Amino acid sequence: MNQIKTLTLIDDDDIFVFLTKKVIEQTNLVNLIKVFGNGLDAINFLKKNKYNTDSLPEIILLDLSMPIMNGWQFLEEYAKLNPSIGKKITIYICSSSISHDDITRAKSINEVSDYIIKPITKNRLIEVIKKL
Amino acid sequence: MEKVTDYKYALDESSIVAITDQKGIINYVNDNFCNISKYTADELIGQDHRIINSGHHSKEFIKDLWTTIANGKVWKGELKNKAKDGTIYWVDTTIVPFLNASNKPYQYVAIRSDITDRKKGEEELKKTLKEISDYKYALDESAIVAITDQKGIITHVNDNFCKISKYAAEELIGRDHRLINSGYHPKKFIKELWTTIANGKVWKGELKNKAKDGSTYWVATTIVPFLNQAGKPYQYVAIRSDITERKEGEEQIKANNAKAIEHAHILELKNTQLIDFCNIVSHNLRAPLINVSMLVDYVEQSEDEKERMEVLAKIKPVVNHLMDVFNELVESIQVKQDTEIKADKIILKDCIEKILKGFETQIKEYEADILLDLNQASIIYFPQKYIESILSNLISNALKYRSPKRKPTITIKTKKGDNNSIILSVADNGLGIDLELHKDQIFKIRKTFHKHPDAKGFGLFMTKTQVEAMNGKIWAKSQPQKGSTFFIEFKNQNI
Repeated sequence: MNQIKTLTLIDDDDIFVFLTKKVIEQTNLVNLIKVFGNGLDAINFLKKNKYNTDSLPEIILLDLSMPIMNGWQFLEEYAKLNPSIGKKITIYICSSSISHDDITRAKSINEVSDYIIKPITKNRLIEVIKKL
Repeated sequence: MEKVTDYKYALDESSIVAITDQKGIINYVNDNFCNISKYTADELIGQDHRIINSGHHSKEFIKDLWTTIANGKVWKGELKNKAKDGTIYWVDTTIVPFLNASNKPYQYVAIRSDITDRKKGEEELKKTLKEISDYKYALDESAIVAITDQKGIITHVNDNFCKISKYAAEELIGRDHRLINSGYHPKKFIKELWTTIANGKVWKGELKNKAKDGSTYWVATTIVPFLNQAGKPYQYVAIRSDITERKEGEEQIKANNAKAIEHAHILELKNTQLIDFCNIVSHNLRAPLINVSMLVDYVEQSEDEKERMEVLAKIKPVVNHLMDVFNELVESIQVKQDTEIKADKIILKDCIEKILKGFETQIKEYEADILLDLNQASIIYFPQKYIESILSNLISNALKYRSPKRKPTITIKTKKGDNNSIILSVADNGLGIDLELHKDQIFKIRKTFHKHPDAKGFGLFMTKTQVEAMNGKIWAKSQPQKGSTFFIEFKNQNI
């Protein structure tokens, strides 16, 4: 099976992060899981390492409702940054929101590959990684 | 004898002269007579004087003339005669009877002067006067008319004016026109009206006036200043028509529109609140539920007892959190339903001091300075439990998000706003919020802007809900690293 180097979780929910990490570990498909508690920390990391492709993730799972910088704001910043990043990063929104508005809005953003409603299952995770 | 000839010459030169016998047969005419009547002397002499009768005067008038002169008396009057070509002319006439020895007239000397031009002018004038009186009649019939002198004292009113104002003419004449002032129009409007007409210009507009019984009526009004020779108005003629029905219709429509807009606004607000709730349910209730379900799933499938215990221990905090969110949600729903809550009289100084007591420990620990400036407004009318909650929240935020670089200073200030409102501000020198980044989100539920363990994101949402429940407004100014100021506008304070 294809292994990927890095998967990034951007989520402030400790329980969700804890459990999702465990599920990802069980798949044995990911070398490194990086976690950021809000959009700002994540965007700052990407800015700093935009040429350092080795440390950039292949996949980002992005929460919407977060303090300081939420998922939408992160995506706005990311869209500005994207052209100068030397690696293709696939972004999935992973949110507990079942609001129709959120889903439609997410699908209208180019940088977003899909919208995953929490909880994320092991099978769905495998699917996401394999699809890469 | 020579003197008499001189007189005759003077008379012939200046006047129209004719002499008839006692039967009225012409036996002398001078040149002036021929010129005006357009007959030659030959055509006239021997003819009855009635040849130049225009038929204008009544039989009685002519009879009176003849009776006068036949009795030997001088007759003076104005006669309308007819020339040969049918045109008519007016002459001022004096007829002097010449008497014989037995005192009977044997001839009449008629001395005339041409007054045709004057008469024509008089006739024109009469016609114009008639026309004017016709206009006046038409105006009086159709419009509401009043005349005032240059000071606004009523000098004339017509029946329509009396009818609409419900005053009798005697009650109006001599009174100041302000008698019917409804007080509806702003001073500036009335001043403009007077400036216009005092400058001799016509003013047109719609006025709301007050009748004797206190009821009001609307009139479309034109005020025409009448100017004296110096160009200054000496009187004003106001011509009005009743537009009360139209105006009342308009006002009704305006009121209905305002009501509709208000309803739409409330509906919009409700809709926004509904979307907020949808988000709360979606983001804030669903998230901990998912956590619980994921944790339970994990415990079920895990075979490692130690791991099971570890995960199991995580369930309780999530359930507690879920409970907190749920309770806060219930609390905010209650605020939204409490629209009929009544305002209490709040002495701000007492209220704030009471709240500060609750923060005593923190204030001491952080060495915080609390400054009050309530001179402009020391009392507000607002529900006690809301104002306490609002102030607690803002003070709590100011302390919680203090800057680690300086001692916190919190300034609570009031000032008077527009339309009987009071604006209360709570300013701090803390961390501040990047409003550029967070825009309209600061009052949304569950929005936090700082990595703070107690930041739950419910405070400002609740504060806004409570302010808006009383039709108030809340907004903020802030600069990162400098501090934040929150402003609350309290409406309808009747200061």
